[in-house]
Amino acid sequence: MRPAPFSYHKAERLDQALALLAEFGEDARPIAGGQSLVPMMNLRLARPSHLVDINALDLDTIELRSDHLHIGALVRHERYARESLIAQHFPAFAEGVEWIGHPTIRRRGTLGGSISHADPTAELPALCVLLGAEIIAQSAEGSRRIPAAEFFISAYVTSLEAGEMVTGIDLPLPKGKSSGAFEEFAERSGDFAIISAGVTLEHDGRAITDARVVWSGVDLAPVMAERAGDLLRGKPLSAPEAEAAAQAMSAGITPLDDPMASAEFRHSLIVELTQRALTRACEKAMQAS
Amino acid sequence: MSKTTITANGQTKNLSLEPRRLLADVLREDFRLSGVHIGCAHGACGACTVHVDGVPRLSCLTFAVQCDGAEINTVESLGGDDAHHLLQRAFREEHGLQCGYCTPGFLMTMAPYVEEMAAQDRMPEDAEIRHAMSGNICRCTGYQSIVAAVRLAITQRRNGESTQ
Ligand SMILES: Cc1cc2nc3c(=O)[nH]c(=O)nc-3n(C[C@H](O)[C@H](O)[C@H](O)COP(=O)(O)OP(=O)(O)OC[C@H]3O[C@@H](n4cnc5c(N)ncnc54)[C@H](O)[C@@H]3O)c2cc1C
Repeated sequence: MRPAPFSYHKAERLDQALALLAEFGEDARPIAGGQSLVPMMNLRLARPSHLVDINALDLDTIELRSDHLHIGALVRHERYARESLIAQHFPAFAEGVEWIGHPTIRRRGTLGGSISHADPTAELPALCVLLGAEIIAQSAEGSRRIPAAEFFISAYVTSLEAGEMVTGIDLPLPKGKSSGAFEEFAERSGDFAIISAGVTLEHDGRAITDARVVWSGVDLAPVMAERAGDLLRGKPLSAPEAEAAAQAMSAGITPLDDPMASAEFRHSLIVELTQRALTRACEKAMQAS
Repeated sequence: MSKTTITANGQTKNLSLEPRRLLADVLREDFRLSGVHIGCAHGACGACTVHVDGVPRLSCLTFAVQCDGAEINTVESLGGDDAHHLLQRAFREEHGLQCGYCTPGFLMTMAPYVEEMAAQDRMPEDAEIRHAMSGNICRCTGYQSIVAAVRLAITQRRNGESTQ
């Protein structure tokens, strides 16, 4: 299949892109890496009348800004591995992005595209929720910050409005000692996940002082484990009782059931992957202490 | 229609293009480069991989109008019609192809990888090679012979053999 006809606009600057998005509203889509939009257009699942090419915009910085790390919307997936700031402050993020797609796709796909596309098992949306990211959305009218927990509404549905685009995200820096890990199960290397589990821990060198756990593949948007903090606070890093905690925090969860994987199989994966991620996050915390 | 200037394998054309035309189709139809194979047309198979300004890219997920001023290279530019590039010879030697449909994509994905490993003077583990080509699907070989071909090409490049 081939795409339906559209008009192509190449934006050279942000204000120009925003003016084009304002002018065409619902009929326009930004195109970044094209690694999700063009498949959708080729299959005629998307038929925008106007494409605003944003690849020339200056939105690919990764930098520390006071109490957070800013990542621009056009940062491509392959870049994180070379950024020491990511590995240093956000180990779960550093591990999670390694699971995105194949090399040719990673070289092209962007942060802004992945979170705006909001595939239910994409890694970046889950990582944004796990790390309490703020998503910066800009339109010709101005800009607003959307907490990740409110941004991802359902499969391929976000709280972005017509005329808005993502310019970047801010990740709050961990305050004290922290650690993290990310685990995933997919059918083939580089495929979208069936289940993934991300973990961040705060600790005092001996015991866990707080914890967050996120899953994708459970529902149509990333899901935070509600009781993660309560179940893990006070547990020694050397013996976090990861399996019991993973069982308890997923007890009331009913995952998706579809031809790809049954709810029962997904549930087993949630427990196993959460336990592995927790165990590794504790091991990393002990090595660093 | 958008005015677009594209150079493919050294040949420059000024084209007037419908924006919806995929780079893959323009290379095949306007440049007559039939080595660009289209498998799935949604990014899943890797058969249409070409180089845009030296970097592997899926030409089925790229609109030709996005390539104004770009230099494209297709499999034809590797080793000509007799396919004499070192990696193509390695594929022949190790039986890295059978029907050949996916081969141009594998070659264009892996040729820069072979150069990268040769530059580092390093033989990657098989798992690394498999990861590097994980975006390309082959239904004939079971991949083992393609891994062997890539290893052979890296060995030869590390021994100083030329690609041509
Ligand atoms: C075979 C294959 C395997 C893949 N596997 C994975 C995987 O395992 N995990 C994973 O996470 N992803 C995977 N992807 C998707 C890939 O990561 C995409 O790059 C990503 O989802 C979209 O980024 P993009 O820059 O290509 O966006 P585009 O395709 O350009 O755009 C996607 C959507 O976002 C919108 N958009 C783009 N940029 C912005 C912006 N700044 N603001 C607002 N809207 C914007 C577009 O209008 C469009 O609706 C895979 C893709 C393929 C083809």
